[in-house]
Amino acid sequence: MNEQPDRVAEFTAEIESMKLKAGGAEGEKRLLLLGVLAVGAGIVLAVIGGVQVVNAETLMDQQAYLATGAFLGIALMVAGAALFVRYSLARYLRFWMVRLVFESRANADRIVDAIERASGPR
Amino acid sequence: MNPSIDAPVVEEIPLLSLRGVRAAYGNIDVLHGVDLDVPKGTVVALLGPNGAGKSTTLKVACGLMAAKAGKVLVAGRDVTGVRAEELARRGLVTIPEGKGVFPNLTVRENLIVATYGGQKLADIEEVAYGRFPRLKERRQQVAGTMSGGEQQMLAMARGLASNPAILLLDELSMGLAPLVVEELYGVVAQIAQSGISILVIEQFARTVLGVADIAAIMLNGRVRAIGSPDEIEEELSSAYLGG
Ligand SMILES: Nc1ncnc2c1ncn2[C@@H]1O[C@H](COP(=O)(O)OP(=O)(O)OP(=O)(O)O)[C@@H](O)[C@H]1O
Ligand SMILES: [Mg+2]
Repeated sequence: MNEQPDRVAEFTAEIESMKLKAGGAEGEKRLLLLGVLAVGAGIVLAVIGGVQVVNAETLMDQQAYLATGAFLGIALMVAGAALFVRYSLARYLRFWMVRLVFESRANADRIVDAIERASGPR
Repeated sequence: MNPSIDAPVVEEIPLLSLRGVRAAYGNIDVLHGVDLDVPKGTVVALLGPNGAGKSTTLKVACGLMAAKAGKVLVAGRDVTGVRAEELARRGLVTIPEGKGVFPNLTVRENLIVATYGGQKLADIEEVAYGRFPRLKERRQQVAGTMSGGEQQMLAMARGLASNPAILLLDELSMGLAPLVVEELYGVVAQIAQSGISILVIEQFARTVLGVADIAAIMLNGRVRAIGSPDEIEEELSSAYLGG
């Protein structure tokens, strides 16, 4: 416990070397938005692809349109949805966790209280 | 504002300092420009009546709450808006108001939780039981069934487990008998002697003033007086204790 001057120096150094991000939640919001945009773009691509496939004359054309339109669109949608779910859930779950911890704590307090009362005055 | 790293002036930079901090809950302003320094190796006592904004000040200082305006400097660096975990991991440790323990876990399990920071359980237990022998006797007891004082000891032990450089303590004495409070402050004094800087928050002054190097009075979201414990004690008896 007596290497404290070192501890202060170490602490100062660690604070000094800390990377300061401008709010972690900011990047999260951006990725969330990216997810939404990707889903939107995916739907548009898929619809265009679908229309092209329907209007295509030959099987070859249909396949080409499937590849560029439908498949790419679906891939974008899936990726976008994954981003969206990941970052919206992250926010939600964080609050949820805190809430759970808090409630289980309150509950334990209540139980301890009840047991103490039930066991009579000491 | 940004001192260079290698300058010897580093010695004088307070480990923690608040500059014109304003904070609000929703649109209710609670802090109206708080200035406070915790120099290296000192115990600073922040005193004030209910609702003065002491706990809020602490929340802003440790990063749990964002300041609306003003700055929080840690070791001379502006850390306004940095998350509390980031600061805690590096050594700015807070022991919040009320019971900072898991009531449904035993003493030992509570200490196991503290290994989350990467320390070995054996080391944590050594420090904890060294400072608080009473916890050793009760290591298999469920924390929620211990006395308030013992729970507070456990909370402090967990705080110490993470090898703090600065310790922020909110109302250690809440709901405890004067004798227990004295015992706790005895430990605070020991901790301070080992070189850890401490900011303690209290409503009722007497016991803390014996331990503190610097004391400040907070009223209505502002620091109204700051000085040596003796000066503040006088101020207190003439001011808000009304006697
Ligand atoms: N979560 C919150 N939401 C809204 N207002 C709050 C919240 N927490 C505190 N306040 C208000 O902010 C003011 C300052 O509260 P704070 O907890 O900082 O006081 P304190 O000095 O720590 O008092 P005490 O000695 O009772 O702990 C009070 O008026 C309180 O009602
Ligand atoms: Mg408080």
